[in-house]
Amino acid sequence: MPKCFVDGKEVEFALGENLVKVAKRAGVEIPVFCYHPGLSVVAQCRMCYVEVEKMPKLQTACSTMAAEGMVVKTQSEAVKKGRQGTMEFLLLNHPLDCPICDKAGECDLQDNSFGHGSANMRHSEERRTYVDVDMGSVIQKNMNRCIHCTRCIRFGDEIAGIHEMVAIKRGNNIDITTIDGKQLKTEYAGNYSDICPTGSLTLKDFRFKKRAWMLKKTATVCEGCSKGCNMEIQHEGNVVYRCVPRENLEINKYWMCDEGRFNYRYTQDETRVVDPTLRGAEGAKQASWQDVVASIEVKIRNGDVLFLVGTDLTNEELSAIREAASALRSGIKIRTFGNADVTKSSEDGPADNILKMKSKTGNLLGAEKLGLEPLTGEAKAETVVVFRGGRAVLPKIDSKWTAGIGVFNREESAGFDGVLPGLAFTEKEGTLVNHAGFEQRLARAVRPRGGCKPVSEILMLLLNTKSKAGQA
Amino acid sequence: MSAEQNTLFIQHFWKDSNRTLEYYLKNMNGYEAAKKVFAGMTPDQVIDEVKKANIRGRGGAGFPMGMKWSFIPKNSDKPKYLVCNADESEPGTCKDRQIMRYTPHVLIEGLLIGSFAIGCHHAYVYIRGEYVREAELLKAAIDEARAAGYLGKNIFGSGYDLEITVHRGAGAYICGEETGLLNSLEGKRGEPRVKPPFPAVSGAFSCPTAVNNVESIANVPHIIRMGGEAFAGLGKIDKSGGTRLISLSGHVQKPGVYEMQAGSMTLRQIIDQFGGGLLNGRRLKAVIPGGSSSPVLTADEIDVVYDVEPLMKIGTMMGSAAIMVINEDTDMVKLLLRITKFYAHESCGQCTPCREGCHWMESILHKILHGEARPADIDLLVDVAGNIGGKTLCALGDAAAMPVQSFLKKFRPEFEAYVKGLKRHA
Amino acid sequence: MEKQLSQKFYEAMKDLEPRYPNKKALILPALHQAQAECGWLPPEVLAEVAAYIGVHEAQIREVASFYTMYNLKPVGKNHLRICTNVACCLRGADELMSYAERKLGIACGETTPDGMFTLSEEECLGACTTAPVMMANDDYVENLDINGLNDWIERAKNER
Repeated sequence: MPKCFVDGKEVEFALGENLVKVAKRAGVEIPVFCYHPGLSVVAQCRMCYVEVEKMPKLQTACSTMAAEGMVVKTQSEAVKKGRQGTMEFLLLNHPLDCPICDKAGECDLQDNSFGHGSANMRHSEERRTYVDVDMGSVIQKNMNRCIHCTRCIRFGDEIAGIHEMVAIKRGNNIDITTIDGKQLKTEYAGNYSDICPTGSLTLKDFRFKKRAWMLKKTATVCEGCSKGCNMEIQHEGNVVYRCVPRENLEINKYWMCDEGRFNYRYTQDETRVVDPTLRGAEGAKQASWQDVVASIEVKIRNGDVLFLVGTDLTNEELSAIREAASALRSGIKIRTFGNADVTKSSEDGPADNILKMKSKTGNLLGAEKLGLEPLTGEAKAETVVVFRGGRAVLPKIDSKWTAGIGVFNREESAGFDGVLPGLAFTEKEGTLVNHAGFEQRLARAVRPRGGCKPVSEILMLLLNTKSKAGQA
Repeated sequence: MSAEQNTLFIQHFWKDSNRTLEYYLKNMNGYEAAKKVFAGMTPDQVIDEVKKANIRGRGGAGFPMGMKWSFIPKNSDKPKYLVCNADESEPGTCKDRQIMRYTPHVLIEGLLIGSFAIGCHHAYVYIRGEYVREAELLKAAIDEARAAGYLGKNIFGSGYDLEITVHRGAGAYICGEETGLLNSLEGKRGEPRVKPPFPAVSGAFSCPTAVNNVESIANVPHIIRMGGEAFAGLGKIDKSGGTRLISLSGHVQKPGVYEMQAGSMTLRQIIDQFGGGLLNGRRLKAVIPGGSSSPVLTADEIDVVYDVEPLMKIGTMMGSAAIMVINEDTDMVKLLLRITKFYAHESCGQCTPCREGCHWMESILHKILHGEARPADIDLLVDVAGNIGGKTLCALGDAAAMPVQSFLKKFRPEFEAYVKGLKRHA
Repeated sequence: MEKQLSQKFYEAMKDLEPRYPNKKALILPALHQAQAECGWLPPEVLAEVAAYIGVHEAQIREVASFYTMYNLKPVGKNHLRICTNVACCLRGADELMSYAERKLGIACGETTPDGMFTLSEEECLGACTTAPVMMANDDYVENLDINGLNDWIERAKNER
């Protein structure tokens, strides 16, 4: 492998690698704004200056490819002066409203200003201001904070496939915006906020909710479809505040869709059933775990019983259900359900040119690999027990008695005779197999809501009740 | 001295009737060079001849033209493009306009030979949007040449085809920068591109492209007809062949476009002999020697041979050979503000130092002129210019920084007078 | 939506299409042609150009707004663009501009109430050796002086 030198350190590189990446491997972080590894290189922000031996001018590390024997200096006086100059230029018109900015604490402009700027302000000119447009339900725009890095324009053009963010006018008057107050159309708008290096494009959903530095971060995967995008759940005080994509070059690169990003909302929605319920004469009523477990156990002792299991459940949950079913009684039929139009992995495929898959549950392939068969037609049995992670779409059920175990809201479980509340993806560990066969781990970010219990524990309760009944 | 000059263009200028194909064939050895090429020269032989001619690009950068052509890859399957830069945007420059107005056919023949040399079958002339009439004249000349068989299919029975399209810009200085021009040709904002890749590898429509100035291309028929060495011999200085068209403007008696053998005159001779000296008998104060971006010269710096290297030696540049003469009555602060305002207006805005810095320099100069500046603002201005120059994605940043740096170096007392309140803006 | 651009526009574009390897390259010529027809480029026209080229409207807008010659606001019947760059400035362009403002009774950048004249300041027009220069609609008026400017305006008024 060819080698070059960064601040005196020898580093190997692959042909075509730029100096930002190569320096990182040498342990040197080069400050950037416009550069993003997932987008085209434009070398516009002029923050990533480095000195390259034999080149008279400062070079931008993002657009300079490493070459054999190249000697790169990232800490020379010329580099420092260049970066300081850029920081000064960028702050000429920035409002410095960090105290009320949602980006504060995770802002590249703040960090690079701290690391490379000057404490001394030399300008006294009036700042440039803009009137902001409404860009729809996902993104809050604040053009005054914009540093014109054009990441958003390139994201729209190159990743989301829609040229809706543009630079209008030119020079010092450029406005980076949608036109005529048009709202963003892409279903990937949240990424605009992630890649914005300052607080110009922030998430409306997160606005004024939490200071970024208060958030705890849990690395997990999205359960929103069979893509299995890697993401981070950011939470505090047992409340999830937002989800952001996590880099995985083989799956989602740096991105995720809005559906996946905001999917967590149902897990803390007030309509989620978080206590056991039993249906009486006046509808569903809160009941004790013991009573609901006992009712279910009695119903599945005899007759025609069907376990409907969601392909939104983890491998561990699915295996446990299968084992428990045979332990409970022979002859319990198990069928999977996810979304009606994609019941097998062979029917799955891309739903767009970006990330979304047709299967709207996260473990269709995992369920299939465990040998579970999909439900065809409607769910018909004397007794049906539905196990669900939270996203699988309930099929039509024709039964005398139905129980739900897992995550449901009140409306979804309205027809059920009994409900035992289970854990949502934010609350549990487990494995999902994405459409390409990658096994990925869900991680527990928050404690279960209300009285919700893991599927394994609920199954143990059922088995214990059965053995007690047998002894009696 | 100027009377005995060997000139290639100027004698054909200023008469509308000279722009016809008939005139070109009769009085300018029209299409003889092309005939010579198609009678058996190879593309490499054409490029060699241009290399021998020592012709530097006439657009401003002064890059050797033959070398530029030799960078076009020969084994690429992609189409190749020759793009003629007729944006003529550096303030002070208006020579290419005369070629298009009075001798359009020499440009067309140059495009034909150049296209053949680099393997291009569709050449574009990118002309600044304001040159509405010039674009019309050029289109008419192209139609004329096509009708006569000099363009189109199977030119001179050689099997070689060429079309030329005139593409109009729409008002943006930065489209004179070759990659900004290419973006504009492709229907985009005229923002310069990151280099590498250079246009020779990935230019117009991501294909190998040579971008050459109008005057450069218009010299090609002369080079082929005379032979590269004879053309080089027209230049009276090393490394600069041929003649130079000069745009002389400002406070001279006779502003105009003139032609001289490269390196044959000093700046003073040009001002006196071509320009007839200063207007209204005023005294010379300064000269901007190569378009408004070139560092300014004082009155005692003009005994310099007017060519690329002598000018570089005294810290300025020849650029597009646009000389602006400034007399003693001129307020240098006001003039610099005007120049800086231009670059701020024309900054495309994509890179930080240029977008923010040019406007900031304009604001500081505005404050100086209007008596609102502090003494420290003069040094601040110089420092800001230093943070722009050499730091931007394209040369516009340098173009904006150089005038500020040179004006402040050579005329600093005028700026100080405003800051100290000794002078007030009228 | 009702078409704003004429058959002539579409025919002109059809002629140009084979001259470029892709349709996007027709954006500048299309905007020129559209402006020649409409006098300026209102949003509906930009949208129609976008539809013709096959790109998002925003893409047309970002291109159109980059160039100074595309009028994104209506302009008067006569558009006077006086160059005030260095060479013209050295030869009295500022005086011409103030004269034009007084004569037309509007400030630079404005249009007369009768819609007859728009006055703009122009950056270098590339005719520096015949400074000062004004671009009056599609033509250059060179070696301009106050008399010449006055005559031009009077003539245009009479052509009403």
